[in-house]
Amino acid sequence: MRPNRGRAGLRGGIRGPIRPFGGPPGPFRPFIPHIPFDLVQCENAFPRAKAAPEEKAFTDALLKRHTDLTPSSAEQASILALVTKVQGILDNLVIAPAGFEAATLEEVRQVGSFKKGTMTAGRNVADIVVMFKTLPTKEAVTALANKVSDELKLQEPHEEAVPPRKRVAQNTPKTVVSLLPNETGFQVSNGEASVQCLVTTIPPNLKKLDADLHLDGKMMNGRLAAIRHARWFEENGQHSSVKVLIRLLRDLKNRFEGFSPLTPWIIDLLAHFAVVNNPSRQPLPINQAFKRALQMLAAGFFLPGSVGITDPCEQGTIRVHTVMTLEQQDQVCFTSQTLLRVLSHGGYKQILGMEGNASIATEMSVWEGVMVTPSDKAYEKPPEKKDDQEEEMEDELDGESS
Amino acid sequence: KPAFSTGATFAGPQRQPTVAPPKAQQALPVSSTGTSYVYSSTTPAVTTYSTSGYTATTTPQSSISSYDAALYSAATSYYSQQQQGKTGGGPSWMLKKAATGNQFKPKPKGPPKAPQLHYCDVCKISCAGPQTYREHLEGQKHKKKEAALKVSQPTGRQSHNQMRCELCDVTCTGQDAYAAHIRGAKHQKVVKLHTKLGKPIPSAEPVVTPAVVSKPAAKPVPGKTVVVQSNTAAKKVLAAPKINFVGGTQLKSLGGKTEEIKTTTAAVPTATSTSSDTQASLSDDEGDDAGNSGAEKDVSPVGHEYIEEIKNDIGKTVSFNCKLCDCKFNDPNAKEMHLKGRRHRLQYKKKVDPNLQVEVKPSIRVRKIQEDKLRRQAQKEEFWRRKEQQERLREEMRMEDEIYWGHRRMEMMGGPIPPDFMEWQRFGPMGPMMRAPFPMHPMHVRRPDSSDDRHVMTKHHSIYPTEEELQAVQNIVSACEKALKLVSDTLADNESKDKIPEKTDKKNVKTEESDKDGEKKEDGISTRVLKGVMRVGVLAKGLLLHGDLNVNLVVLCSEKPTRTLLEQVADALPKQLATVTSEELDVRRCVEEAAIIVRSDLEPSATCTITLTSPIMRESNLTEGETVNVKDPPDVLDRQKCLDALAALRHAKWFQARANGLPSCVIIIRILRDLCQRVPAWTPLNEWAMELLVEKCVSTGGATMAPGDSLRRVFECIASGIILPGGPGLYDPCEKEAYDVTATLTNQQREDITALAQHALRLIAFRQIHKVLGMDPLPAPRFSAKRFNNRKRRHTNSAGEDGGEKKDRKEKESEIAA
Repeated sequence: MRPNRGRAGLRGGIRGPIRPFGGPPGPFRPFIPHIPFDLVQCENAFPRAKAAPEEKAFTDALLKRHTDLTPSSAEQASILALVTKVQGILDNLVIAPAGFEAATLEEVRQVGSFKKGTMTAGRNVADIVVMFKTLPTKEAVTALANKVSDELKLQEPHEEAVPPRKRVAQNTPKTVVSLLPNETGFQVSNGEASVQCLVTTIPPNLKKLDADLHLDGKMMNGRLAAIRHARWFEENGQHSSVKVLIRLLRDLKNRFEGFSPLTPWIIDLLAHFAVVNNPSRQPLPINQAFKRALQMLAAGFFLPGSVGITDPCEQGTIRVHTVMTLEQQDQVCFTSQTLLRVLSHGGYKQILGMEGNASIATEMSVWEGVMVTPSDKAYEKPPEKKDDQEEEMEDELDGESS
Repeated sequence: KPAFSTGATFAGPQRQPTVAPPKAQQALPVSSTGTSYVYSSTTPAVTTYSTSGYTATTTPQSSISSYDAALYSAATSYYSQQQQGKTGGGPSWMLKKAATGNQFKPKPKGPPKAPQLHYCDVCKISCAGPQTYREHLEGQKHKKKEAALKVSQPTGRQSHNQMRCELCDVTCTGQDAYAAHIRGAKHQKVVKLHTKLGKPIPSAEPVVTPAVVSKPAAKPVPGKTVVVQSNTAAKKVLAAPKINFVGGTQLKSLGGKTEEIKTTTAAVPTATSTSSDTQASLSDDEGDDAGNSGAEKDVSPVGHEYIEEIKNDIGKTVSFNCKLCDCKFNDPNAKEMHLKGRRHRLQYKKKVDPNLQVEVKPSIRVRKIQEDKLRRQAQKEEFWRRKEQQERLREEMRMEDEIYWGHRRMEMMGGPIPPDFMEWQRFGPMGPMMRAPFPMHPMHVRRPDSSDDRHVMTKHHSIYPTEEELQAVQNIVSACEKALKLVSDTLADNESKDKIPEKTDKKNVKTEESDKDGEKKEDGISTRVLKGVMRVGVLAKGLLLHGDLNVNLVVLCSEKPTRTLLEQVADALPKQLATVTSEELDVRRCVEEAAIIVRSDLEPSATCTITLTSPIMRESNLTEGETVNVKDPPDVLDRQKCLDALAALRHAKWFQARANGLPSCVIIIRILRDLCQRVPAWTPLNEWAMELLVEKCVSTGGATMAPGDSLRRVFECIASGIILPGGPGLYDPCEKEAYDVTATLTNQQREDITALAQHALRLIAFRQIHKVLGMDPLPAPRFSAKRFNNRKRRHTNSAGEDGGEKKDRKEKESEIAA
């Protein structure tokens, strides 16, 4: 029906006023996203009618939680050492590929939380994306894993040479190289830390893929995107408030089932938005930013029809939240709505996971005499029978501004 | 009878040690060499042909050099003559070609009168006649064979472990291939032929190494054709379909090579070596791989990883499988060959490493395409270069302009670039690729009506008061206003009778101008007690709903309203009402409310509440604690009620100034008022708070908000916790001090309202706005989506749909007309 767009638009324009409610027919309508309410953006219209509540305790709790979430310096050091080692080996393969024919490496880049500096304690996995110039076959991945493993073994004796006393102190366990499921990459781990080497290929190769022989194109595209994300973050996410908020939000995601659909990239963008995107362009303090993130989610920032956040690393207008299904969007929204209400009644300790458990998001709770009823889902699976209406709905809900 | 040559001569060509550059080799008049054996049963056949051929070729020879003449004389057979003639002078060959073409085109099927056997030793085939034989010799296949043999022999590439069939001169890469060859029709044919000719047949045992010992053979006499009489089964042999016709291009290429040939041909028409015709056709794969392998000796095999070893039960490798090319080999050598082969490399390039160099087979077509590409590219570059130049020129000109005008502008504005422009620049583009992740600000695109909009508008339509209701309200209000004015007049009259009849500017008692009026009165010692009457609340704001017939009026008094005053007014009112309207109106006083309630008995019965108040009430509020209170008359009316009435007055003014102008604001407030009346949990949110909230939401939402969007935004606002404890609250613009309009709400109420709004918001987002509005879902608009698909449905249940179709058509027509 797309080809009819032009004609329909014209018709709508002419007939608009004649029809009872006006407007051209559904599918021809251009999608204009709704900009959700954001208190920070229109603060001027909402002068405070009463003094702002004291939030020192809340801020302190946030900072304390963040400290708990940050990996210890020992952890950071061990992972850094491993990353440096693996990156060194891979870099050598890029510069001097002699002796390794299974694939040609184009580029090796660190991505993900390690690169961004938003790693959380207890999740010591750094990600490295290895970009092949050649087409990524499973055999090539295996060969690369073996090569890295060999190189690591070559380096081991060097460590052996370290004076025994020191070695005992370090107690470095053997590094193990294991393939990731489906040979999409491999993981180098030494007990304390691990590095995931994710294989992808240069974009022109993506068209030549053969499903039987090569890695999954979609997944590799995601890895290419991860490189872009890392770059974007390097340029935009360096404020420490952003990083703090990312850790806190990731922690929320891990503890509250309802937030599980949020991807790391969505969290990055949301945190950045919440901290930086305000009229004064000055980063907000963490307590305000944290609350704002919840408020925005609660106000339907990531609901269908909302403008949300446009992915800065993709061509065209892609709203990041459309990677979630409608049901997931609803789930994220109502979870944040419940948490926001709990927060405003003073339940920050429970939200931050310092007291109680995650049941506050799903069960009724009482705060200073106020009963907080958790929000319930609003999304209903459209009935199968009325397919034309449903299709239209999907159209509209999912519709990117194409 | 001349006997056919011996085995030695027969094998001769292969042993030919001459190594000539293949190009020259190809250009040689191959066919004129000693390898040509023409077996013929009768000689006359040859002669007839040769004579005719001779005449044909010689006629244009007049201009040819003596060199050619010498050749002619030397030539013993027609065939060689012809070749020489062809290779002779450039200007003549075209003609000759035409001549030969004419002569030999006649169907190849037609066998010569006397069957002969023309056998090509290189290709191991027999030809039906001299022409076909000749043509075969000129043919591409034959030449290729010959050249290949020449080239390949010295390199000795048939190395270890290759199987070779001596008889057919075919090299096989494996046992299987060899066996297949031996069984094959081609081999059988050759064997038959050789038996017939009485030639020695080498054993069927394969020669494993390049077993053929190259011994220098006697050079066959140049240009000699051995004609063999074959008495037996010649016909059968003639049926062999190996006939090659001379292609035009072949001739051309020969023509082009004239010079070269001149220098080489006549001197040494060497016996050329050829390889068998059968080889190429035996197995394309092998041929493809092997054909290049000679040149690819230096190429290292690629893609070991993709060779799968297939093992048998005892774990011995029995075969190999190349995953890239999807083919199998039984022996490791074949695998090696394959890995080096062109086909495999191409697959590798395609599937693994796009940068792998694979030799391009220089076919004419490919070359042409390439040339074309290059040419086009050059053209494109040229085009862009030119365009760029123009652009640059233009840019320079514009820059100059800009510099000039920029200065001018700066001077005119008396300052550098405006600051907001700077602001925009700073936050606008965040790099070429990294766009700001923030939503663009309100687009000035009118959003066409969405389903939400339609629902909201439909709902609004249903809650909007009916014509009768509006009329009834209008009647009672205007009656009250008129009556109150008259009451005011009479009161003033009474007073002036009592005291000094003052100047009376009574006509000015109008609703809107009462303020000014009041001021005037204060100037001259005001005696008029009732200064004016004003509409407040839903009436003033135009927020009346269906079934909502209670309206409010406020009467401003010059002094604090007292019970006495209220009673005076209430007493005077019925009489005055009777003068302005014929309706039966019931007047009731309600001292506790500081109000008089006028009620109409007619259906729909409207109620008008008239509250007495005075601005002085508010002033005293400020000076509380002082002695002002003492002056109050003893029976002053309830202060809070009077203050509320004053506040209502201010709200009405604020509303008219702020909310009335916003496009969908009033609609949304009506919708929400209805919601508050329908859903008890919403009720605690008072109307004033609601109005403020909606106004703020709509006014901050961008230029033109559609009703659906506006409603969603209001819910978003509440959902984001605006009224939750800890939120900013709602600042009252109509109070002197900071005052939260929602201050009266309990925390539980705040919580409940927020939870409701949050759910409502998600309902709207998931297209269930009808649940929020308490109505039935509207059907999709008439012209939506599937009108084009309807046709399909109609086919399935076609009967009785004619009417619908007609209607559809009508609609379409009307559309077109519109």
